[in-house]
Amino acid sequence: MIKLNNKPKAGYAARRRLFIAGFLLPTFILFSIFTIYPLLRGLYLSFFDWSGGSETMNFIGFGNYKDLLDDEVIPGAIKNDYFLVFWKVILIMLFATFFAVSLTRLKLKEYGLYRVIFFFPNIISVSVIGVLWSFIYNPHLGFLNSFLSLFTQKSVDTNWLGDSHLAMWSLLPPSVWAGIGFYMLLIIASILGIPSSLYEAASMDGAGQWKQFTKITLPLIWEQFKTSIIHIVITTLNGSFIIVKLMTDGGPDNHTQVLGYYLYQMGFKQFHLSYGATIGVLILILSIITTLILQRLLRRDTIEM
Amino acid sequence: MNMKLRKKATGGMALLLVLMSLAGCGGGAKETTTQPTPETKSTAQTDTDKPKEETKDTQGSDPKVTGDFEIQYFVGGYGDSWWKEMLGEFQKKYPDVKIKESAGSQINDQMKPRWIQGNPPDLVYIDGAGSNETQMVKDDQLMDISEWVKQAKNVDGEALTAPLIAPPQDYGGGKNYTIPLVFGSWGTFYDESLFKEKGWDVPKDWDSFLAVSEKIKAAGINPYIHTGKYPYYIVGGLLNSGFVSENGDNPQILKDQEANKEGSFKNDAVAKTLKKVVEMRDKGFFDNASFGITHTDSQMLFLQHKDAMIPNGLWVENEMKKDVPQGFKFGFIPSVMQKPGGKVVAIPYTSNIAIAKKAKNPDAAKAFIEFIFTKKEAVRWAELTGALMNVKADLDSSGASDVVKTAMKYFNDPATIVAPVFKLNADLEQTENDATIALLQKTITPEEWMDRMEKAAAKSR
Repeated sequence: MIKLNNKPKAGYAARRRLFIAGFLLPTFILFSIFTIYPLLRGLYLSFFDWSGGSETMNFIGFGNYKDLLDDEVIPGAIKNDYFLVFWKVILIMLFATFFAVSLTRLKLKEYGLYRVIFFFPNIISVSVIGVLWSFIYNPHLGFLNSFLSLFTQKSVDTNWLGDSHLAMWSLLPPSVWAGIGFYMLLIIASILGIPSSLYEAASMDGAGQWKQFTKITLPLIWEQFKTSIIHIVITTLNGSFIIVKLMTDGGPDNHTQVLGYYLYQMGFKQFHLSYGATIGVLILILSIITTLILQRLLRRDTIEM
Repeated sequence: MNMKLRKKATGGMALLLVLMSLAGCGGGAKETTTQPTPETKSTAQTDTDKPKEETKDTQGSDPKVTGDFEIQYFVGGYGDSWWKEMLGEFQKKYPDVKIKESAGSQINDQMKPRWIQGNPPDLVYIDGAGSNETQMVKDDQLMDISEWVKQAKNVDGEALTAPLIAPPQDYGGGKNYTIPLVFGSWGTFYDESLFKEKGWDVPKDWDSFLAVSEKIKAAGINPYIHTGKYPYYIVGGLLNSGFVSENGDNPQILKDQEANKEGSFKNDAVAKTLKKVVEMRDKGFFDNASFGITHTDSQMLFLQHKDAMIPNGLWVENEMKKDVPQGFKFGFIPSVMQKPGGKVVAIPYTSNIAIAKKAKNPDAAKAFIEFIFTKKEAVRWAELTGALMNVKADLDSSGASDVVKTAMKYFNDPATIVAPVFKLNADLEQTENDATIALLQKTITPEEWMDRMEKAAAKSR
């Protein structure tokens, strides 16, 4: 009897393990090949002097890291990265929450239409966004200057992307515009998960829209809110390369240089691939530190419904 | 059983999905290998079908070229029709050779892994994004051809280097690794029709350049535009010729800069040139739109007469062919910074061809070089691409563009100084680009420009 009982159990356990492995293994293999290996390889490369084209590499220990400390471009690039992080977090979260709350709480008839409109920039390729905004910013032929000229005597010829003081600010609108939709959807989803009875009770007690937002909505969507902020931070630190590459190439004179683009420039345009890898390590370290700090700053007691 | 089968099938499908996504990842990096043109193929086949003795007859006294021969060439503004034609004729001449073309607009990136692994093609045409011959020499990827190139003869029996406009670049110690295939010149472009219509004089020297710029500005047009996103256009089309003029017409200064020599960026000639640039800046001759825009955008503004002059290369006419308005006629002057009565300075650019150090069939590569560097093929190049090949040929009767013909006349004129081919290393080029933009935006002084460059040069030494 015991034997009979045990046998199917053992078979069940083995099958269960196989079943779980069937889900874990492929992902784990892919993750190892495409994330772990490049990460370690990048770390390994950062200890060499390699142009990226030759067959041989020279081991130079911490040489690249010493160069990194002396590099005059790096501090500016870090500053620009955090400039983008700061403003993107504030503006994207502000707009995304505002739109999400208006769409769900104000019970608009055109809810579906607005959702599509706001999400639209997310389905356009980033390259298209870059080119589109370059046209908007074009000093002579661009939409922005033509529009502004309607209100002025003299036609406006501001060079948005070429001016060393304006260029960094000009990179913000496309980045923010392209980001709002996704986070808006995240927040909408979590708002829709809040039982409407809470709002009904609140309004019966005389709470206005603002009070409902701060006392009910915000505490209950805080987890999504936190996730969104951290996601914006990580994607900005790792992905600001794209918008810079498409619009300014880090110029004028490194005024819009960010670490991601500087990595590319060093690795592929100036043929110091191993130095590029070192910049990659710096980005990794900064991302980890920033995320840890944010996790701590944004910690709040989870509110159960 | 049925359940198990279904499970297996689902598992198989999941695995297939994963594999498919993996295959998708790999597909992008695949090397594109173009097939030889059908015409070539058929001749090759019929030739191999023939009895062996006959093949020998057709080859005559030519050295036998056989085996696999792989060529890598970038396909950009010049297209690939010239290459297809050359390879087709080469195949006819040497039917035993098996040609493999690795070509395309992304070919430099696609072939990179093979260069790193030590399995390069035999011959490479170095052009386009992601390519840099100075770096390839530094990375020890190219064959030292110094000895061979001196005694080699082209298929017409002429010494290979004799008809070249720009000789093979000297990489120090008399070593040659590359041969310039495309030759062109930087310079200032303007619209001949517009200048004629407005009665403006085409600048001959610095003084007349300033005078006409003043007139253009008074007429409500910006005198000068450049692409701020790619500052090497203004460096090539304006600054470099100034360096030579101010250096007593001695182009050695550019070779010194290339060699990172101390003081080559901080001297009288450079200071005087930068002073002229600052003069242009302070008089408001530069279009403020220049900063941050791409070369295409700057060229569009130039074509639309928002700006009268633009620093550029000889390819610009061909590049903008589709957008040239009616009546627009490209004019070209190699330099504007020379003193009145001074010599015109032409700053050349080249795209080179080279044999890989690890070429498996260097003989075929050499034979192909001897095959293409002739006057006849140079005319074909001009006709098929609208640009100049690095061979002195009579283009007057050819289909080359007027700008190219004008440029050829300048090169043959003894009053023109054709500077030697040179290329700064990528670090110095980047620093020069950044510093030049900063100078034009008044964020640094000429003194700081020179200090930045000297510092970068010291780092490269």
